[in-house]
Amino acid sequence: MNTSDIYREEIIDHSKHPRNFGKIAKPDVRYKEKNPLCGDEIELFVKLDSHKKVKAVAFNGAGCVISRASASLFTEAIKGKSVRELEQLSAKDALECLGLSELTPTRQKCALLVLETLKRGLKKYQQKTK
Amino acid sequence: MIDAAKIKKDFPLLNQKMNGQPLVYLDSAATSQKPQAVIDAIKDFYERHNANIHRGIYRLSEEATELYEGAREKVQKFIRAKETKEIIFTRGTTESINLVAYSWGRQNIEKGDEIIVTEMEHHSNLIPWQLLAKEKEAVLKFIPIDDEGRLKITKLDSLLNKKTRLLAITHVSNVLGVVNPLKEIITKAHSNGTRVLVDGAQAVPHLSVDVSELDCDFYAFSGHKMLGPTGIGVLHGKRELLEAMPPFMGGGEMIKEVTKEGATWNELPTKFEAGTMPIAQVVSLGTAIDYLNGIGMENIWQHEQMLIAYALEKVTAIPGVKIYGPLKPKDKGGVLSFNIGEIHPHDIASIFDEEGIAIRAGHHCAQVLHRRLGIPATVRASFYLYTDQSDIDKLIGAIKKAKQLLL
Repeated sequence: MNTSDIYREEIIDHSKHPRNFGKIAKPDVRYKEKNPLCGDEIELFVKLDSHKKVKAVAFNGAGCVISRASASLFTEAIKGKSVRELEQLSAKDALECLGLSELTPTRQKCALLVLETLKRGLKKYQQKTK
Repeated sequence: MIDAAKIKKDFPLLNQKMNGQPLVYLDSAATSQKPQAVIDAIKDFYERHNANIHRGIYRLSEEATELYEGAREKVQKFIRAKETKEIIFTRGTTESINLVAYSWGRQNIEKGDEIIVTEMEHHSNLIPWQLLAKEKEAVLKFIPIDDEGRLKITKLDSLLNKKTRLLAITHVSNVLGVVNPLKEIITKAHSNGTRVLVDGAQAVPHLSVDVSELDCDFYAFSGHKMLGPTGIGVLHGKRELLEAMPPFMGGGEMIKEVTKEGATWNELPTKFEAGTMPIAQVVSLGTAIDYLNGIGMENIWQHEQMLIAYALEKVTAIPGVKIYGPLKPKDKGGVLSFNIGEIHPHDIASIFDEEGIAIRAGHHCAQVLHRRLGIPATVRASFYLYTDQSDIDKLIGAIKKAKQLLL
């Protein structure tokens, strides 16, 4: 009864002690996105270096274990990536980053909230810097 | 007393495994499972009676019409309506309420008029009134609830005034399980000249409803929550009101005579049943009513009272679990909404799913209510005649597992 396929130790650790949790002053990318289904909310901050690569990243907001763990692992993974690389990230990449292949479509939305937030933030950033 | 273990055998879906575990279905407030008799009725209709109703002169069409109208009579008797003309078939509760909002509402609500709803309404009994109020520049008012989720009835007096045209209220809350004191509310509204629409989606499946005794003006409910198929619902309305209302949808069957210039409308209830109706669904809803009558609505209510009392006793004993709605089983249906510490309801639902337990997590189409409770979402377990104590024991086990894993 007390084992779980989804809620393994690494996921729970990242949810309880999320990496990159907080805010960044003067970010290049800043975006807030909501999952209307469950009210999960993520605000994402990205600071770029002179080569347009991720220098620092942070997120905050309230959400379920899956959305928090996903945001924690995802933000760890995108450090050092270029804007071009970020734009090419797919849902598959984000789910691989989380390491959960058994999520149902509804729960995948929780996991992909951080990716969605990044994509929309990047779009806003591109429009701004055009 | 109901033998739920025996009843379970009538429901093929309940006898399967989910994620390697025996399925524990605790989401009947969303939709009920179907007994074999209802499934057979749909099959039987298509195998032996299928034809379009009303217009056919041939035998098969007459048979289909008889079955269709026979189901209307079953519905009429089931909710104790005065006559079959007052029973309109719709797609579900949502369509029934929208029918009233568009047809009666557009005819009777004017600028500055007031509509009263409650803080516990499902979106299906809120959004149609918001739309109508916006269109007509009418005012929407809310009966507040207290911290236990009961309506503050005393506030009703100050909300009612000479501009109040309609009071739209749920019979049983889909989140809190509260059974509202309709009789008292309807009497007050009527003495103010205010019409009353009741959302009975969570009531008709679980308790004995008597629309004549309630004296409500409109009563809406769905077939799929009461063992029937999806795609079929009912609107009960007082005859004189329905007769005065313009049609909701235009099309075949709802007309009497059509010329290039215009048309006249058919008699009740056909005036509101445009196009080919979901005939097999209506017929099998009749079968669902037969099944419920066979068990007895009073027995079903007593059974759910026993279950909710048992669940409340067990769940309140677990530290860290917060229950929403009244903590006393009396005046509460078989609906238990709760949260476990700070664990997100979606995580709880996923853990329960791993145990083969189907519950619902979210705002249950009642965002105004959740905002009032100060939370974004809850976990909801809901019971029915096929739920037994062992289902609730498994629920308790899963709550403990979720706590252990995530708290």
